[in-house]
Amino acid sequence: MNVEAYVEFAKRAFSREGTYRFQVFSKIGSVLLRVFLLSTLWTNLYRANGTQAGITLDAMITYVVIALLLDIVYGVNGAYVVREKIREGSIAIDFMRPISVPLYVFADTLGQTGFALLQCIPALVLSAFIVHIQAPVSPLALAGFVGAVGIGFVVNYFIDLIMATITFWTMEIFGVQIMVQFIASLLSGSLVPLYFFPQGWIQDVLLASPFAALYNAPLSIWIGKYQGIQIVQALGMQAVWAALFGAFAIWLWRVGERKVVIQGG
Amino acid sequence: MAEAAARYWGAYKEFWRLNMLTMIEYKANFFIWLVFSIVYHGVALAAIWIILTKFPSLNGWTRTDVFFLYALWMVGHTLNNTLFFTVGDVPYQVQEGRFDRFLVRPLDTLFQVVSQPGQIWPDEFIMALIVFGIAQNFVHLEWSPIVVVLVASTVLGGSIIDAAVQLVVATLSFWVVRLDALRWVVMSLENDFTRFPLSMYNRAVRIILGYVFPFAFMNYFPATVLLHKTADSAQFNPALGWLTPAVAAVWTLAALAFWRTGLNRYQSTGS
Repeated sequence: MNVEAYVEFAKRAFSREGTYRFQVFSKIGSVLLRVFLLSTLWTNLYRANGTQAGITLDAMITYVVIALLLDIVYGVNGAYVVREKIREGSIAIDFMRPISVPLYVFADTLGQTGFALLQCIPALVLSAFIVHIQAPVSPLALAGFVGAVGIGFVVNYFIDLIMATITFWTMEIFGVQIMVQFIASLLSGSLVPLYFFPQGWIQDVLLASPFAALYNAPLSIWIGKYQGIQIVQALGMQAVWAALFGAFAIWLWRVGERKVVIQGG
Repeated sequence: MAEAAARYWGAYKEFWRLNMLTMIEYKANFFIWLVFSIVYHGVALAAIWIILTKFPSLNGWTRTDVFFLYALWMVGHTLNNTLFFTVGDVPYQVQEGRFDRFLVRPLDTLFQVVSQPGQIWPDEFIMALIVFGIAQNFVHLEWSPIVVVLVASTVLGGSIIDAAVQLVVATLSFWVVRLDALRWVVMSLENDFTRFPLSMYNRAVRIILGYVFPFAFMNYFPATVLLHKTADSAQFNPALGWLTPAVAAVWTLAALAFWRTGLNRYQSTGS
């Protein structure tokens, strides 16, 4: 396998994203605006109702800020090009090239995500001027958070790849894809922490779901909801989802590829 | 003049005929987008329900009041989506060079923008009317001729405020190539932050949602009048609830002027 080629793909994706300056500024601006709006909303909700589910106001505001930064990271949908390639038929030419398309897309997504992470730094620093952000409770929590975002990135990539691969069978996948995104925004804890959901089996199922691997796991580690062995458990759960989605994505891709090669699309 | 009006009306009728034909032709698509709308609004309402179950005290607003607030916004918003949805496509069309075809045809450019046949169906608007019907029942809205006028003018004015703001953002694409992030900010201001009473926010947010991007006129200000929210009326002049059509008129004039400026610039530089 030609690793250098994929490194080059990632670098290209990184610098391509950097060319849209207005986009970068407005993305950071939009995070700051949302931080501001959401922090005033939660402050007023807490003022009238007090602390809920053991999450203090400071922890909640931290949760909101970090969730918005994760939106930037997971918002990169590198697999989008696969959908376009299949629609236009140019995927056939890619099959003739000495590269693996899923790996190419992975490298491209990695490059774009690298640029997204770079945007998170000013967004975080500037947010800290608007609201009080709690640091991770311990060095272990920080390390766990970084690991959880890494695995979350992989899960997110495989979900996007599966969605894009379905284009081999049906062209109209866009609506379904945003639908999944909306459902995920609720069930992952990105809009509202899962701890605020009705307690009992609903919460238990959601905390173990693949959506929780995206937002709930890293965020719970950061604000100290998960500590010690719980961090390891959360990372293990995420890894299981990453492996399952990965296996399914690769299998689906192979079937789709064979369909094109044998039937000509 | 009458002849021109007849020509536009004919073209507009044809546009809706084509939309309806696409609905029959692409049944699967219609179904996907219908489910999509249900999911979108379902997720929003679920999030509100979950938050308000944990945080029930909301300045005198109950869960059903907030549901009504959402329903009122939803009717105006989906009416805009039905009539003016394609305004949001302008940035992509400019970016990809597909916009220029509008300039060489003998009809007004903006008219052509809002009458591009696509997959535009009134399903979401009908859904909004149903949701509103349920919500007004929950809050026991007392119907009278005045309430009818207030609700109707809020919905119509609200959809026009929505459209005018979208037009201003779309016009920026004559200057700036990639607008997605900015469009996303404005969309989120409208969709996400009109869900709670404005009195739950601090002063700066009230100014943004009340006067910079006047989305609060789509639901909050009229709702304080409709639901007799006296605690909120102490903070805002209740007369604001009646001003939705006036705000819509001012924004429409400003948005149209801005659109013409942008269009002139686009045509003269040819870039």
